Amino acid sequence: MIAIYLYLAGMGAGSFVIGILIQWGALINWMGVKLNPLFLPSIVLFGHTLNLSSVPILWGPIMVAIGAPFLILDLGIKWRFMYACLNPRTSWVARGFIILSIFIIFGLVLLAKSVLPFEWLHAESVLWRIPEIIAFVFALGTAIYTGILLKATKSIPLWNTHLLPLLFLVSALSTGSMAIILATLGTGLFSHDASALKVLMYAVQILVVIEGIVLYLYLSGRYRVSEQGKDSVRLLLHGEKKFIFWGGDVLLGLVLPFVLVSIAAFSHGNMLLIFSSGLSLLGGGFLLRLGVLHAGIKDQIPMHRLMEIQYDMRAMKIKENWNAGKGIGR
Amino acid sequence: MQEKVLVVDQQKCTGCRLCELVCSVFHTGASNPSRSRIKVVKWEDVGLYLPMACNHCEKAYCVEVCPTKACHREPENNNRVTIDKKLCIGCRTCIIACPFGHPFFDIHDRVTVKCDYCDGDPQCVRFCDVKAISFTDADKTNVAKKREAFLKYAESMKQIR
Repeated sequence: MIAIYLYLAGMGAGSFVIGILIQWGALINWMGVKLNPLFLPSIVLFGHTLNLSSVPILWGPIMVAIGAPFLILDLGIKWRFMYACLNPRTSWVARGFIILSIFIIFGLVLLAKSVLPFEWLHAESVLWRIPEIIAFVFALGTAIYTGILLKATKSIPLWNTHLLPLLFLVSALSTGSMAIILATLGTGLFSHDASALKVLMYAVQILVVIEGIVLYLYLSGRYRVSEQGKDSVRLLLHGEKKFIFWGGDVLLGLVLPFVLVSIAAFSHGNMLLIFSSGLSLLGGGFLLRLGVLHAGIKDQIPMHRLMEIQYDMRAMKIKENWNAGKGIGR
Repeated sequence: MQEKVLVVDQQKCTGCRLCELVCSVFHTGASNPSRSRIKVVKWEDVGLYLPMACNHCEKAYCVEVCPTKACHREPENNNRVTIDKKLCIGCRTCIIACPFGHPFFDIHDRVTVKCDYCDGDPQCVRFCDVKAISFTDADKTNVAKKREAFLKYAESMKQIR
């Protein structure tokens, strides 16, 4: 359940961040070249004009709002989830509750703004940039928080590293932008010639490469950190979880999307190629989180080490005695 | 008041698990060791048994990570770390955070539970036949070991003379 939450929250927040970036990108002059809003393909749905950037801005918070209840379902006493914000001074769960709530609330406000047909809302007003900026910051927070939630566990070496939030953030951005591309397929929004979509495709490729590098750094770092970190990495690389890792994360999440998107770029946006690469990237994103969650192994307790030392000493003594006995026998 | 702690002598423990039984009876009213706040970890192949109870750490991770402050320290009550059942939401963050694997999830009450020194009279200490667990002043925890070491030292000094 936690894996589903991590995935939905990451993807929702990631696509929200990308969506906002596209929208702002359309407003800012890029060294004299202005991304004309016309370059953003748009459709009309239920009487509302939706362009490429507003779609993820609308569904991002909804995705996170769907993911968050999975955290509540995991609780022992579910109705007490409101208590979860009482200790933000030291607890990351409490801080996360606040970050998620703010993001969902501001996201839903933005959603209401663009859907509700009230004149007094002034949907085009510049003042709406303020909630947008707040939601953007908290969306980034949500994407990073999915990693920090695990990082805060000090006794599991596989999780306790700064690279994990970074890995989840990059994965959130790549799955987020892929989700945007996927959503445009079949809605009329998709057109290979739209510059925004081209940028998105490149962004996905770059993000996938960065994700691969971060994943390598993360695993090699964890391998060296402690005995349990080594065990966790071994579990992923050639242990019980090797199918999740090699098949799910590396093949579906990194190799296939990169190759398929590259081919699609040459074949003028072959829908089927993009669709399959999108599905595999999204599946890979989920399996990445599942693998990391499942491979976490706790550090040994100090007493355990003591027991092992005692056991080794006893074994050595028995061996010595046995050898000595054999010597006498001869 | 002098702070008291649970001290375990694993060489005395026979692994009878009576402490688990009395703990569960005291806290839940049921003789169900799976709901006890103390767990005897066994290495049967070497014949070592280690009763594991909460260490009430000075810097307690469970207190740090608890999102509701249900897990808190009570300086007025032997400086123990305890969980308020009414505030606990059962998120199990403390279980993951504890390096000693201590707090336990009570399936019956759907909250996390941990050792609270039985409000000053630990039942595991009271019922342990071989006195493997004792409830002693925090500054006297190593007295027995120190005495043993010094006796050995004195013995060897005598031999040298």
